[in-house]
This record gives sequence, C-alpha cells and structure tokens, in this order.
Amino acid sequence: MREPLISVRDLQVHFHTHAGVVHALNGVSFDLYPGEILGLVGETGCGKSVTGLALLGLIPPPGQVVGGEIRYRGQNILTLPPAQMRALRGGKIAMIFQDPAAALNPVFTVGEQIELVTRRHRRMGREAARRQAAEVLRSVGMPEPERILDTYPHELSGGMQQRVMIAMALSCGAEVLVADEPTTALDVTIQAQILDLLVDLKRTRGLSILLITHNLGVVAETCDRVAVLYAGFIVETGPTGAIFQSMKHPYTQGLLAAIPHPSSRGRPLQAVPGTVPDGLQLPPGCLFHPRCPFAWDRCRQERPVLREVADGHQVACHLYAGEAER
Amino acid sequence: MKVWEYILRRLLLAVLVIFGVSVVTFFIARVVPSDPAALWVGPRPSPDQIAAARVKLGLDRPLYIQYFYYLGNLLRGDLGVSIKTHQPIVRDLRAYLPATLELVLVGMAMAVFIGIPLGVLSAARRNRFLDHFSRLVAVASVSIPTFWLGLLLQLIFFGQLHWLPISGRVSIGTALYRPIQTVTGFYLVDTLITRNWPAFRDALTHIILPAFTLATYAIGLTIRMTRSTMVEVLQEKYIVAARAAGLSERTILFRLALKNAIVPTLTVLALSFVYSLTGAILVEVIFSWPGLGSYVTSAIINVDFPVIIAVTLVVTVFYVLINLVLDLVQVVLDPRVVLK
Ligand SMILES: Nc1ncnc2c1ncn2[C@@H]1O[C@H](COP(=O)(O)OP(=O)(O)OP(=O)(O)O)[C@@H](O)[C@H]1O
Ligand code: SF4
Ligand SMILES: [Mg+2]
Repeated sequence: MREPLISVRDLQVHFHTHAGVVHALNGVSFDLYPGEILGLVGETGCGKSVTGLALLGLIPPPGQVVGGEIRYRGQNILTLPPAQMRALRGGKIAMIFQDPAAALNPVFTVGEQIELVTRRHRRMGREAARRQAAEVLRSVGMPEPERILDTYPHELSGGMQQRVMIAMALSCGAEVLVADEPTTALDVTIQAQILDLLVDLKRTRGLSILLITHNLGVVAETCDRVAVLYAGFIVETGPTGAIFQSMKHPYTQGLLAAIPHPSSRGRPLQAVPGTVPDGLQLPPGCLFHPRCPFAWDRCRQERPVLREVADGHQVACHLYAGEAER
Repeated sequence: MKVWEYILRRLLLAVLVIFGVSVVTFFIARVVPSDPAALWVGPRPSPDQIAAARVKLGLDRPLYIQYFYYLGNLLRGDLGVSIKTHQPIVRDLRAYLPATLELVLVGMAMAVFIGIPLGVLSAARRNRFLDHFSRLVAVASVSIPTFWLGLLLQLIFFGQLHWLPISGRVSIGTALYRPIQTVTGFYLVDTLITRNWPAFRDALTHIILPAFTLATYAIGLTIRMTRSTMVEVLQEKYIVAARAAGLSERTILFRLALKNAIVPTLTVLALSFVYSLTGAILVEVIFSWPGLGSYVTSAIINVDFPVIIAVTLVVTVFYVLINLVLDLVQVVLDPRVVLK
C-alpha cells in the first residue's frame, strides 16, 4: 500500500464572525497519494476553498482550525512553527487560483514574480533565477519563455496567465498542487488545455493535485479519485469510476442525477432540492438529513462516519452502516 | 520615445499654465487698491516723489505694456525688485528658497520614513495594538496646532534636554568659525561637498526640530493614506497567492503590496510638499527659519506685489513640475497606466 503524501483527518474550521461561529469545515478527511489527481467537489459554500487554503496553513482570519490534523509525509503541519510552514508553502505545497488575472501581481513582470519565489526557496543569483524561470515556463508549455519573462500579467491571455501561475507554483519543485477551480474563469478550449497540462504534470513529474471544482465533467475527465464535500463534511470518497457508476451517498446520487445531458457540463452544481445548511446553525445528526429523501430517526440524531463500502470507496451514511448496527 | 514626447507636451503645457498664472496675478495686483509708487517711496512721500517713482516703475504706461515689460524681464530671469526693500527679488529667493526647500524636503523624508512604514504595518496588523497606536499618532499629528507643537519641542529638546538648538539654520559659532560656503544654498549639501563636518552636524541638529514640526501633519496624512490603500491591497488575491508561494511577510508587505498601494500616498506627499513651500510660515517664525513663508507673508503685509507675484510663480512652477513627476512615477510603478 502506498503512503499518502497528504492525509487530512477530521479537519474542523470555524470562522468567528459577529453573527456567530460559522462552522465552515466539520470533519474533512481524505488522503492524497503521490502522483494522483483527487477531485474535491461540492456546491458553492461547502468549504472547498477553505479546505485548500488549510493545506497551506492560510485560513484567513477570523477563521481558525479548531480540530483535526493535516499530515504531510506523516508530519502534522498544523503544529509546525511559522518559519517551517512558510518553507513548505511554495516549496512543497503550492496553490493556484480560480482567477489568474487577480492572482498575479499587476505591477511586477512575470519574470520578477517567478524569480522572487525561486530565490525565496533556493539560494541562487539573479541570472540563475532567470534561467530557471524561463525553464519552468517552458515546462508548462509556454511559447517564447524568454519574452514572457519581461511581460506584465495584463499583457497575457487568461490561459497564459494560468500557465504562469502554474509555473510559479512549480518553480520550487512543489510535490502537491492545490488547484482551486483553476479553469472556471477560462473559456472552454483553454480550459481543456489547462486540464491537459495538469494531467501531463501528474504523469511526467508525479505531481499530486487536489483539484477543487464544481464541474463534474472536469472531474470525470481528469481525476483519479473524488471526494464529495457537503457542508464542510466529506460524505463520499472513492475512485472516479466507482463514484460515477456506483455512487452510494444520497447527496452524490442527487449531484450526478442532476447532470442529465453532456451539454449541461460546466454548469454549477445545483443538484438536490433544498438549501445548504447555514454554517451558523448546523442540523444535528447527518448534515444532509433535512434534504435527504431517505432520512429516518437515526439520521436526525447521529452523525454518520466514513465507512468503506468497497475497495477504496467510503461513504458517510447510515444507509450503509453494517447490518448489525442498523 | 513615447515618454519623452509626453514629457515635452507636459512641459509646454506647464509653460502655458505659468504664463496664465503670471497674467492673473499681475492683473490682480494692479486692480487691488494700493499704490505701488507710494510704497516704493516710503512713509510720508511728497506728490513729486510719487510721480517720479511712478515713471521709474513704469506705472504711467498702459497696463498691457507694463505686463509685456514684466514678461520680458521674466523671460530673462529677472523677477523684478521688491517695492519695500528695493532688493532684486531673485537675490532674495536665492537665499530663502533653498532654506525652505531644505526644510520641506527633510520634513517630507521624515513623513516617508515614519509615515509609510507605520501605515503599512498598521494595515498588516489591523485592529491590533500597533494599528490603534498609529491611529492615535495620526490623529494627534493632524490635530495638534503647529505653533504649540513647535514650542513644546523647543521646551523639551532645547529647554530640558539641551539636545538640539532652538532656532536658526546654524549656530553663531559655525557662522563665525566654520562659515558655510554657499554652493547650492542647501546647508546640508554644501557642508557635505565642502567637507565641513562640524558645520554639517550643526546644520543637521538645527533642521531636525523645525522639519519634524513641519512634517507632523504630513506624517499623519501619510499614515492614514498608506494604511487605507494597503488594507485594500492586502485583500487582493495576489497577496494570498504570494503567501501561498511562501514569500516572507516583509517581502509581501514592503515590496509586493506597497508598490500597488503607494501612488495615493505619493500624491498626498506631493501636495504637502507644495503646500509647505509657503505654508510653513508658523514653523519658520517659531524656529526663526529664513524661508519663503516668512518672506511672502511680510510681502503680503506690505502689499509688495512684485514679491507676491514672484513667489506665486515659483510655487506654480513647483506645483506643475511635481505633478509631472508624480505622473511619470505612476507610469514607472504601474505598467497598466497609459500616458494620454
Ligand atoms: N472570511 C470568511 N469569513 C466568514 N466565513 C467564511 C469566510 N470564508 C469562508 N467562510 C465560510 O466558509 C464556508 C466555505 O467557504 P468556501 O470559500 O470554502 O466555499 P467554496 O466551497 O470554495 O465555495 P465556492 O464554490 O463558491 O468557491 C462558507 O460557507 C462561508 O460561510
Ligand atoms: S445518513 Fe440518513 S440523512 Fe444522511 S444521507 Fe444517509 S440516509 Fe440520508
Ligand atoms: Mg471556492
């Protein structure tokens, strides 16, 4: 059995706002193995971005990790001293964002931005950093990397900007890439190119990618495994094939049933009737029970835990609890 | 290439502005009910003396002719003669302008080196101790009356601690034994290039209190302006991305964020600079600083119009130039800004 590179267990994140405590993550658990793409899917506001930021130790205030752990190569990074966490960020774990135009600093050239990152993590001179920057741009399929180094972000197209982001993320040899909706802001053909690039990086570099998306078409095409997030809680996780063919959780079933036709691919998930619970006031028991067609008494009282239903396929639902328990 | 074209165009425009200002001030000076000829002659003049002065000053000629003479002199670098002191104004300016510029520049440097870091750090530590502290500093520095602060500083640093001199640009000892050779008129510069170290030290200690007194208002503005733009910039996605790339907080704040946030602060500083050229009168009086503010104030009291016009023109030139520099700096800082 391979060792996971990243292993998240029962992660809980609260935002302490004026309105009260927002329960953003309520027990997120998943593993990310070397050289795989794990899709993290769920409706808007379910905590995908917060999960991604947590892997880099970047939960914005007033957010706070209140429970659980995140292990990178066995080491719990939540307890790392800030300096070591900073070395990990960009050095081993990197992140790219939905809107590359906003994620690149408008007043520095592409080269300056990449070099700043490379020189932060590796001791090297200006010249070497520049050569390395050009090299990493070439490796993400950027034509004329030397010229691109001297351009400003606004002079590039959206797809190029995202390539620059990926280049920057990988410029220090990151092993894990958190990609938060990396293609949502791009048009469809560019979207496909960026996804191809990610798959390519996985194959050639053995990069592990947490691909955050609400586009199930993207998941089907690129991900090895999928984790389904609902109200800050992982309800189902397993190999992409298993999830698409024999999904177990009522929420996942609803999600997938909501894609009636390939043409609806790319629409945001609006799957199941009802609304996502308010993070300020979570329902007791199974978080999904107010919307679940199968809910019964036990669902209203007891929170289900993830249980293995098939090889590598786990579901958190009382329907699949062992016969004896049920 | 485009940049030079732009600068040239702006400079031509500047000449027009300066011309316009000269016309306006000149004619305002002539419609105000006061008689330059009488002022020129001095107290209790006889009618003959006034008539003679009128001819000497060219006041007997039509107004537009007077203006063309004035303009002709101006183009030759002659700003005229003070009606009150009968001194060439250019000579006065050569003494007062460097004194003021030196004071204001040192003051602005203080605003930059105190105000910007405080603004940046209070944005970064929003609503924490440093932020509250710097808010207090900012509010105090824009609301404390200048004369009161000046006197207070004199009381503390001269009266109690005996650390700094109370007034003037240099002490009498320096003037007598280590006289400063005037090259630029900026004492700090002149003493440096002539390697007159004791005089440099002396000039430096003299400028600290008045420059700080002058700078307090600008420091307060700089803190608040920097903080508010930085707060906005720090919420940008590229800041999160920079953190995600593991860059240090110092690099993020003072390099990546500040470059995006600096322009409004520079604008505030530029305006303070221009304002201080003539607005530093209180500071100049309290610290006996021989500057433009005192010069123009006494000119106003004496209705000494050639001086008022000349100082107005000088300030206009600075205003126009500073704005040009500000625009160019903006282009250098932000590639998305296009010159129009
Ligand atoms: N700065 C914040 N302050 C308060 N609550 C927050 C903050 N950021 C996130 N949250 C809470 O955390 C929850 C999860 O947010 P998150 O951004 O992770 O959602 P998401 O799944 O990425 O949604 P989307 O698909 O819209 O990007 C939200 O419902 C919100 O209530
Ligand atoms: S635990 Fe109960 S409420 Fe929750 S998904 Fe399963 S059946 Fe539905
Ligand atoms: Mg999100």
